[in-house]
Amino acid sequence: MKDNTDQTPQNRAPEIPVIQRIIAVLWPSFLTSGVATGLFFTVFDPQDLTMLTGHLGVSRMAVYSIGFFMFWLLTSGTCALTCYFQRPCEQVKGRR
Amino acid sequence: MSSNHPATADKTAPDPVDPASEEIYASHKKVYPREVHGIFANLRVLGVVVLLGLYYGVAWLSWDGHQAVLLDLPARKFYIFGLTFWPQDFFYFAWLLVIAALTLFYVTSLAGRLWCGYACPQTVWTEIFLWIERKIEGSRNQQIKRDKGSMTPTKFRIKATKHLVWILFSLYTGFTFVGYFTPIRELTSAAMHFNLGPWETFWIFFYGFATYGNAGWMREQVCIYMCPYARFQSAMFDRDTLVIAYDEQRGEPRGSRKKNIDPRKAGLGDCVDCTLCVQVCPTGIDIRDGLQYQCIGCAACIDVCDEVMDKMGYSKGLIRYTTENTMQGKPAHIIRPRTIIYTLLLLALSLGLVYAISQRTPLQLDVLRDRNSLYRETPQGLVENVYTLKIINMADHTRRFHVTVSGADAGLNDLRLVMSKPVVEVPPGKVISLPVSVQIDPVELRRASSEVVFTLSAEDDPDLTSSRHARFLGPVLSR
Repeated sequence: MKDNTDQTPQNRAPEIPVIQRIIAVLWPSFLTSGVATGLFFTVFDPQDLTMLTGHLGVSRMAVYSIGFFMFWLLTSGTCALTCYFQRPCEQVKGRR
Repeated sequence: MSSNHPATADKTAPDPVDPASEEIYASHKKVYPREVHGIFANLRVLGVVVLLGLYYGVAWLSWDGHQAVLLDLPARKFYIFGLTFWPQDFFYFAWLLVIAALTLFYVTSLAGRLWCGYACPQTVWTEIFLWIERKIEGSRNQQIKRDKGSMTPTKFRIKATKHLVWILFSLYTGFTFVGYFTPIRELTSAAMHFNLGPWETFWIFFYGFATYGNAGWMREQVCIYMCPYARFQSAMFDRDTLVIAYDEQRGEPRGSRKKNIDPRKAGLGDCVDCTLCVQVCPTGIDIRDGLQYQCIGCAACIDVCDEVMDKMGYSKGLIRYTTENTMQGKPAHIIRPRTIIYTLLLLALSLGLVYAISQRTPLQLDVLRDRNSLYRETPQGLVENVYTLKIINMADHTRRFHVTVSGADAGLNDLRLVMSKPVVEVPPGKVISLPVSVQIDPVELRRASSEVVFTLSAEDDPDLTSSRHARFLGPVLSR
């Protein structure tokens, strides 16, 4: 593991690698979007949704899949915002 | 692996002596777990064979003319052997998940991370991938030596073969996964003729890619960085939880020695410092540093250390399954408040689930009011409301149903039900939409909106009924 004990004022928070931050956004949102998809389609039948929106002929499988990715987009957006705002305010000014 | 992430490689200061390679998650040396033999390794192999056997095998079982376990998403029906579940039964699934989670907590408080070491899909698939890697690339030492050397045609051939086998195995894993959602026999014939549906193809590759990435590349990093359970499992631990521990009192001071000397005379403990326990560790930790959250409890270090102790003529168990209390010479308690509560909760929930499923009504009725009109008047001067009844027959045989309607509010005594036929026949596992209308003499209406109850009863089983309330709208003539 990388040693993160650098105690200079700007560097107090451990630097997290970019790839780790990307996974920290994509992975929890993947889990929650899976749960959301399950709950949503338990209540709503994709066929009713396609009828209501006039997209007849779209298979249930397609609606489930698209629904999953819409949820993932939403949850990963939330995770990304959290990640973005996590940075302490004093570090925002200028580029470090 | 170092050369695979050039984009991130410059982020970390490389160690000039022993270049740490950049992994997906953190600056990190690749772990080459050494092959291990012993009782716990055998248990894990048994776990792998049984669990993967179930995963790849159950998809092919049939039951009563359908796939035994099929979560038929396109048809919104879920077959689990003799039982058929519907989206309406989601409650049971949630209940089952609660039981599964509690079982996991229960086992953790008793025996630590048994799940991680023997049953977690991440462990099970990683074992298979490691096995494939060893068959193709050779032993740990051969792998390390090859990875240090430069790329030669032979090295390329060996690496390419390994990845090819991994990818094929992953794709078959993805195929089996999709086979639980789309009938696997249909899927096979579609795959043979290269006309898989676009979404089936997508999910096979998606799941296959996840398997390849998790079991081939990320491995222990999934446990360390991505697994939520690994983060909170220590909350279930107490001083009586079974953990894998190194007996420091017996082992220290560690050091190498000749086989026949008496270690006590030489001022040494039983640990010969062979570092085999570190070499076999799939997460690359040193168990002698104490209990660490990276330890997945696989017991590989126990197996390998016992082997060394045997060779040295010392007693086994320098590293062993033990509890904090036992280690300190105190009595161990299996029965304690935590375990009693878990046992009672689990018993109650499991019995409750079995009872609830056995008492499940294999019938559902939904009533949708016609949204296009509030009400209409018939030529006879009656007020009429139109509804669509949705009848789901969840039983495994065709049933005939009678529909009746009655007033839930006082005064609605003379409701008349108009249907195309008096008895509704619904085939097994089918949904029938039935338009009906209900009429009443407007003088009986006390309010503009009254409540009526539709009741469905099975002809062959008078106890099997289902009722739904609905609104009845009409003009208010009196007062």
